[in-house]
Amino acid sequence: MRAAWRAEWAKLLTGRAAPAVPLGLAVLLTAGGVALGRDSVDPVQLRLLGVRLGQAAVAAAGVQLLAGEYGSGLIRTSLLAVPRRLDLLAAKAALLTAFVAPAAGLAVGVAVIGLPPGGALARAAVASVVYLILVGLLGLGVAAVVRNSATAVGIVLALLYLMPMVLRMLPDPDWQRVLYRLTPATAVQALTTSTAGPVALPLSPAAALGVVAAWAAGALALGAFVLHRRDA
Amino acid sequence: MTTIEVNGLRKRFGSSAALDGMTFVVRPGHVTGFVGPNGAGKSTTLRMIVGLDRPDAGTATIGGRRYAELPCPMRHAGALLDPHALHPARSGRDHLRWLARSQDLPDTRVDAVLALAGLTAAGRRTAGGYSLGMRQRLGVAAALLGDPPVLLLDEPFNGLDPAGIVWMRGLLRDLAADGRSVLVSSHLMSELQDMAGHVVVAGHGRVVADAGVDELIGAYTSLEAAYLELTAGVGGIR
Repeated sequence: MRAAWRAEWAKLLTGRAAPAVPLGLAVLLTAGGVALGRDSVDPVQLRLLGVRLGQAAVAAAGVQLLAGEYGSGLIRTSLLAVPRRLDLLAAKAALLTAFVAPAAGLAVGVAVIGLPPGGALARAAVASVVYLILVGLLGLGVAAVVRNSATAVGIVLALLYLMPMVLRMLPDPDWQRVLYRLTPATAVQALTTSTAGPVALPLSPAAALGVVAAWAAGALALGAFVLHRRDA
Repeated sequence: MTTIEVNGLRKRFGSSAALDGMTFVVRPGHVTGFVGPNGAGKSTTLRMIVGLDRPDAGTATIGGRRYAELPCPMRHAGALLDPHALHPARSGRDHLRWLARSQDLPDTRVDAVLALAGLTAAGRRTAGGYSLGMRQRLGVAAALLGDPPVLLLDEPFNGLDPAGIVWMRGLLRDLAADGRSVLVSSHLMSELQDMAGHVVVAGHGRVVADAGVDELIGAYTSLEAAYLELTAGVGGIR
């Protein structure tokens, strides 16, 4: 595991740091919420709207970190250096977290500048940072499964943005309601809201984080399984 | 003295058997040529030795251990399997630098193998602009980074210019003479005849002959004649 971490770190230091581009974009998009002002029933939610844009770029960074290696062919050299594939995936997950966490922290911090401090604001801000980390890991996991950047980004964006729309086409309203609660789109809404009580929200913030964590963990587990089983 | 032991490797891709009980041992001290028609299973075997492909059955070990079990594996076995397995935006030197870090090797090793591969000047340029011959040289540099006792090379002569071919021939012979186990797959029988001490002939995913080069030349007059005779009727791709 230490060798895998050293390899990933050195790759980043010697490379053109390709994932830095989407990560920078994520910071801009997320922090951009600061421009939305404070005149709203829920200014925290308004300011954190940028999280819903920035997540796309964070997901792309997660995808790029692994699918980029399949695109160039570098993965075959990486696996010669680090033949334990789960170590490779774990090192990439750790590296991604180590970069998304401060970037998201900075971006969310900027987005909520000037809002009156309080427990609700702190909860929503921390939840937003954790959410963005989980979305990055979701991207990494999906990339491990499908190995192609464009396919992986397409799948992750569909999960993040299109699922509620697709669910609306379901004929059974009960199923619709249940599945709707399991979408990341519903979760991000619940996580970034400060004023409305649980009555108005389809999910509590804790449950919302649980939902996103389950998506990320599911993608990483499937990715780890596929990476372990398939030929490189 | 580290040997490569390939024992009963089997692998199916869909309905066709790529490997059907591939078994041989590569011993140190001489170059072992690995020959056979396209699709005979040479590349798949090499990929399995370093864990890139997974066998359905059988084992491949280096000094008795699977590649994935070796700590800092590139210090135990160096492999040049795919000269294009690099990031095109990274310089040749940086490609070797991250590999060195991953194996806990100092940057002095990077400069040593760059010089050995004749890439000291070119190492500063991005690898995306390298010709196939230069990529092969970079691949050899990467394989030698950890000064391993075992080397695996898949078609290392591809794309080399005449000077490069002479260089590669001398290098592989020297590496084997140092007591390393060197396995080289190639279609160039005249190259192998001059360079290899032993040859493994593969066909239909298994070994059809495993003999000393002198022995084969004695029986068939040349390695090429031996190859053509031994693989007559042994198709590769089915």
